[in-house]
Amino acid sequence: MTVFSLIIINKAGGLIYQREFQPGLRKLSTNDYLVLAGTFHGVHAITRTITPKLPLLTPTATASTPTSASSNLASPSGTSTPIPPTTTTTTTTTTSVAATTYTYPIPGVPATGLESLETDKFRLTCFQTLTGTKFLLFTDPHMANIEVVMKKIYEFYADFVMKNPFYQLEMPVRCEAFDRNMNGWLRGRT
Amino acid sequence: MVVYSFYIFDRHAECIYKRRWLPRPVSTSGSKSSRPTSEASAPATSAPVLLGQSARTTDDDAKLIFGTVFSLRNMVRKLGGEDDNFVTYKTSQYKLHYYETPTNIKFVMLTDIKSPSMRVALQQIYINLYVEYVVKNPLSPVEHPGGVGVNNELFEESLEQFVVRVRSCHYQGSF
Repeated sequence: MTVFSLIIINKAGGLIYQREFQPGLRKLSTNDYLVLAGTFHGVHAITRTITPKLPLLTPTATASTPTSASSNLASPSGTSTPIPPTTTTTTTTTTSVAATTYTYPIPGVPATGLESLETDKFRLTCFQTLTGTKFLLFTDPHMANIEVVMKKIYEFYADFVMKNPFYQLEMPVRCEAFDRNMNGWLRGRT
Repeated sequence: MVVYSFYIFDRHAECIYKRRWLPRPVSTSGSKSSRPTSEASAPATSAPVLLGQSARTTDDDAKLIFGTVFSLRNMVRKLGGEDDNFVTYKTSQYKLHYYETPTNIKFVMLTDIKSPSMRVALQQIYINLYVEYVVKNPLSPVEHPGGVGVNNELFEESLEQFVVRVRSCHYQGSF
């Protein structure tokens, strides 16, 4: 198993942590990493908005009854992002199309942004926490059980970054214990 | 597997072909209601009301998709080197497949998340359909502003058949 590097992006799209574990990807300058973090933050939001919407045409029986937009489904595994409504109802007075509703391909599941990206040389897995922080893990394209690594890194982050009394929220992560523990754990797995 | 939409972008970042496949309305009861029907929207025909998107048209969607694909491609090239290529990405709802020809024509397809890699399929569309019916057409212009030359019947017809075949093929393969 090969973990190339880890990038942590705060909820505003700023780079707060970047570390290389194993060589394999090209090294960028600090400025390029900052640009990459910002770009990814934007692309992540756009990939959520271009989720295909499948029309859900209801029969024309309810022609002119004003229907209210159905409330959002409370999602147990929601992200920090506002959950788009699974169904929206528009009120129209025409008789042909009474109410045009749409549904996402997998109803009930909130639309998320990019979760994993595959290229010829690496796989990028993105995990967004409930508070909007994004963890980007660059691994070998054939690596299995990336979720386990991701969960563990999140655990280290919670233990050694968030519980560090000197850490300022949304600021670059400079916690020696975080680096040390993560390094040790990743080395133990290889 | 379900194919939601398909786009071709030329090297000037213009969308020269787009097509969506929409499933039939869910509420109409019928045995084959889940079979997607095709809705050709080749040159600038947008029916936002029917598509359930009043705020954003298909044109805007194509632009957003191009922007996404372009940014990701540049990001991947920066990290993986010039010969690296971005193949696909996945969200909780859909999967986007990407193929770029050496002449910078970009083929993009949106499918459901369970579909296997469509890189070969996109390559086949380029080689067997695009080159055969668009590039080799003596009446077709070199560039395709606004989709001129791409939206000929032969190409559309065979694209339709190809997608239907790929879809049924993967159905049999997965069960």
